[in-house]
Amino acid sequence: MADFLPYLIGGLANGALYGLLALGFVLVYRATSVVNFAIGEFLLVGAYLTYTFALFLPLPLAILAALPLAFLFGLLVERGFVRPLLGRNVVAVIMATIGLAAALDGAVQLIWGPDLKYLSGSLPNLGFQAGEVFVSSRAVWNLLLALPLGLGLLWLLRRSRYGILVRAISEREVAALALGIPTARILAGVWGVSALLATLAGALLAVASGVGHNLVFFGLKVFPVAILGGLDSVGGALLAGFLLGALEALSQRYLEPLLPGFTEALPFVVVLLVLLVRPYGLLGERQIERV
Amino acid sequence: MKRREFLRRLGVGSLAAMGFSRFALAQARPVKLAALLPLTGPFAFAGNAGREGFVDGVDYVNEVLGGIGGRRLELIVEDTGYDVARGTAAFNRVISRERADELLFVYGDSTGLSKALAPEIARIGLPYSATSFANELADPKTYPTIFVFGPTYNDMVEALLRQVRLQKGRAKIALVYSNTEFGRDPIPYAKERAKALGMEVVHEEVTPPAFTDATPVVLNLRRANPDFVILQGYALSVEPLIVRAAREQGLQAQFMGTYYSAELALIQRTGPAAEGFIVTYHNAYWYDTLVPAVNEMRKFRQRKGRDTSYRPTYYMGSLAVALGVAEAMRRAAAAGKLTRAGVVEYLEKIGDYNALGLVRGYQFVNHRIPYTKLYRASVKDRRFNAITDWIKLA
Repeated sequence: MADFLPYLIGGLANGALYGLLALGFVLVYRATSVVNFAIGEFLLVGAYLTYTFALFLPLPLAILAALPLAFLFGLLVERGFVRPLLGRNVVAVIMATIGLAAALDGAVQLIWGPDLKYLSGSLPNLGFQAGEVFVSSRAVWNLLLALPLGLGLLWLLRRSRYGILVRAISEREVAALALGIPTARILAGVWGVSALLATLAGALLAVASGVGHNLVFFGLKVFPVAILGGLDSVGGALLAGFLLGALEALSQRYLEPLLPGFTEALPFVVVLLVLLVRPYGLLGERQIERV
Repeated sequence: MKRREFLRRLGVGSLAAMGFSRFALAQARPVKLAALLPLTGPFAFAGNAGREGFVDGVDYVNEVLGGIGGRRLELIVEDTGYDVARGTAAFNRVISRERADELLFVYGDSTGLSKALAPEIARIGLPYSATSFANELADPKTYPTIFVFGPTYNDMVEALLRQVRLQKGRAKIALVYSNTEFGRDPIPYAKERAKALGMEVVHEEVTPPAFTDATPVVLNLRRANPDFVILQGYALSVEPLIVRAAREQGLQAQFMGTYYSAELALIQRTGPAAEGFIVTYHNAYWYDTLVPAVNEMRKFRQRKGRDTSYRPTYYMGSLAVALGVAEAMRRAAAAGKLTRAGVVEYLEKIGDYNALGLVRGYQFVNHRIPYTKLYRASVKDRRFNAITDWIKLA
């Protein structure tokens, strides 16, 4: 058990970040049916915003300062890229987000330069020893921030007025408009929240490994996580994030010695297996379309 | 003297007075060097620094050294995005666009791209080098026109293992490497040599080239409890994560890395945990002010109004390639052999040249330069300090 537990905790802590990022991704998909291929770049922009504020603020304050700006960035993306394409062919919107990803990659390099950056400060050390198991500060921070935030967002979606409006729009946008719901404003807010969540994940990653383009690769993990959880399930995204994080860590311990390199493919193998049994993901809504 | 003859002589005389050599340098067909670099993507930080090294090297050759036998050296830069398909397309574009008697050298990026291009490069007899130090490329029998401007990854691991032997006789080694051509390249050699030197490889960890959580890797290392951990195939993407997590979890092993770990960003990103990290590195650092090349390039950049603050190792590497290739071209031109074959011939004969101390000397043995130094990270000094003199690896 003492051998198994540290892997599990480390995996869950990493999975918390997967969940955070996937949460924003699924939220956007659910509300607007847009698959945001630029989610990795949202994370990248968020990490660079944090880096910029950290140049003159202590790191916790820098993260806090980056979040509203990230929200604003999400609003701008929605207004500039997504809203003009709403109602168009879904492929056009997908292509637009792919284009957005490339544009953001270029913009980040132009604004911040190609050099590797690092955050000069650090978050307070919360690491501790529990018996034979050491829980790293990074794991504590990931879980401490991602878990309440994810659960809080779930609660808001289910219970708050704003959450009910988002759900109403995602159910039937035309009906929501007819009822006088400010659809455009709420959808913009959803993009803002998605960018905010990505920024938090980006900041936590940047604390551990510095700021650089390689953070984008973390964004790629969002796809297996979201598909596994169910593309339209916010709770599923959170659950799948933790699940894949834990599976990856355990695979690195138990499968990697037997199958070197397997862990890299693991998320996709898991998704494939789950989709064979549950094509709509773990918690996704079962939809039957007549064709 | 007839009027026409007088005017012709007047023209020639005027040209001479105005500096004919300069005129000729501008007018003669240029000699071209193409650099295919990752200017965007995950290794943009290295690619852009590398481009700067080539730009400085080529400008220096033209403005200070007088070009290549009266011809101007021209740099062509293409972006590969660190993608083999894009790099191959860039290579094909350059090769089909440029004349074979003008394009005399191509520099590529990555082990993957270089291995993919190697057969074609051999077929067309094009002098070539790359950011890669893959062992397979330093094989003049198979690839007679490919040069590795430094030791191969096998050589670098050899240097590290010799250091391990110095520090501890029967040491326990762990190998942590990315699941890429770059990461895997020296691993079979490392295992074989460690065994031959009486060491035990107690753990081998294959990882993706970039990941965000080092906990499982470090937990595996803790279970194996090695004395030394050699990291290969990351180029600063994950070394800081692994080393920080290792120190946090109480792993005392000595960490080591090869050329692409030898950049100051490793110390900056890793923080205090970087202390003692040992790397191989074979060019001068920008802060080695006792090296004439460093002073010369600082002054040159100042004259050009360019930033003279710290230049990364990728800059120094590209500069070393540009100056070495230009020297081979200049000697080939002086011998009337300024062709692709001539450049290959003279690259093999410039062992006496060291680019003002930028490298130990361009002494190719089996088309690689088998010398390196070992450096140790000092957090206090915020730099890598040399802990050995040149180590001969062949």
